[in-house]
Amino acid sequence: MAETPSPVRTKTLPSYGVGIGWRPEIAGYVEGLPGLRFAEVVAESVHAHGDLPPGLQALLDRGVTVIPHGVRLSLGGAEPVDGDRVEHFAAVAERLNAPLVSEHIAFVRAGGVEAGHLLPLPRSREAVDAVVANVRRLGESVSVPIALEPIAALFDWPDDELTEAQFITEILDRSGAMLLLDIANVYANARNRGTDPLDLLDHVPLDRVAYVHVAGGAEHEGLYHDTHTDAVPQPVLDLVTELCDRHRPPALMLERDGDYPAAPELTAELDAIAKASGYPTVT
Amino acid sequence: MTTHNSAADPADAEATGEGGAEATGRGGPSLAARQTALVEALTAGRSVPEGIDGSAFEAARVALLRKRAGEVARQWPMLAAGFGNRWKREFATWAATRPTQGSLRDGWDMARSLVARGELPAVAAAELAEREAAWHYDGTTAPRSRRTPALSIKAGALAVQLGGRVHVLRRP
Repeated sequence: MAETPSPVRTKTLPSYGVGIGWRPEIAGYVEGLPGLRFAEVVAESVHAHGDLPPGLQALLDRGVTVIPHGVRLSLGGAEPVDGDRVEHFAAVAERLNAPLVSEHIAFVRAGGVEAGHLLPLPRSREAVDAVVANVRRLGESVSVPIALEPIAALFDWPDDELTEAQFITEILDRSGAMLLLDIANVYANARNRGTDPLDLLDHVPLDRVAYVHVAGGAEHEGLYHDTHTDAVPQPVLDLVTELCDRHRPPALMLERDGDYPAAPELTAELDAIAKASGYPTVT
Repeated sequence: MTTHNSAADPADAEATGEGGAEATGRGGPSLAARQTALVEALTAGRSVPEGIDGSAFEAARVALLRKRAGEVARQWPMLAAGFGNRWKREFATWAATRPTQGSLRDGWDMARSLVARGELPAVAAAELAEREAAWHYDGTTAPRSRRTPALSIKAGALAVQLGGRVHVLRRP
């Protein structure tokens, strides 16, 4: 590919082990986790300036690494990423003193209309170009490595030019980004497409995984929905083990976004991730 | 055939080099056009782009509306409570052809349209009146705090705002 290589900003994180997505609803629970060393926060929910929510500040005060996770940059959009959103995202990363940031390989708006959801890209070279161009724009404002997360999609575009693994790998190679691997997305996509999730694990660069999302879902009318509001099913935990057998990532985290269960259930989920990955429990 | 690529300003053309040229040379609609068609199908009831599985797309559309309903319920708990277990269905019907403006505005717009039809649940009236008294919302841009005292009567609820403090004086 005759293009100026991107500055490859990868780094190997310390082995943070098991973490959790910080959400205001479970702030007290997260703050009380004795072994916690890393967490993630939705970047758009954090004020760039001014006070952080108390629970989040408490984590930073005790040295927990907090990674901002963007959900609205629309890096896969055909149009250039919005400057105001980039500015906010970069300011949050600095505010949290984050060692890396993350976003999705997806688009969330087009033609000035918000979809309200992460939408899949056609696996075309044109889409690779769009993502790479937007990651570069983001990289002009963000000084730390950027990790990209492939999403779960209930439907696919026709006429793909690349397999999912090729699509992901090419984006990472050309943008210099790291991989945020959501193992529940890998499971959901394989299940809904009738493919083998291990095939994806065997064909993406696992040495570039910055960290891993683990989440729950549920089947509804024949399709598996990556809900983040249900328990993590055993097959997803089994995939965590398969992943770690191949190349254990430095960190894995539980991602829960609603219908929060009581503390013992969250603890059981975190412990299950620790067991599946071989990391110490943090609870 | 050349296709329009809105991402391609001169600097990007240089940055993407050959990759960009290959991408736009393959024919068919541009990425921008495909993305716009997909978002319109998802949020405005337009037809599903050719080649995408209709039933899988419909499952995604319904899941998105239910997710939006949950987000609006967090911003407008009394509005959602007013519909009980019919909330997600009611919201999905209202929102099916209305792209999200964020959950605060979505709930606000729905509440106003219910008032206009005389169908706002009584239990949700005070919630709306309080917000109308506290904020100026023109229906098209983000709500702004009111700087002057205001009074709002919505579906039998009366709220006043003085110096930024809102008091509900009457509930239906």
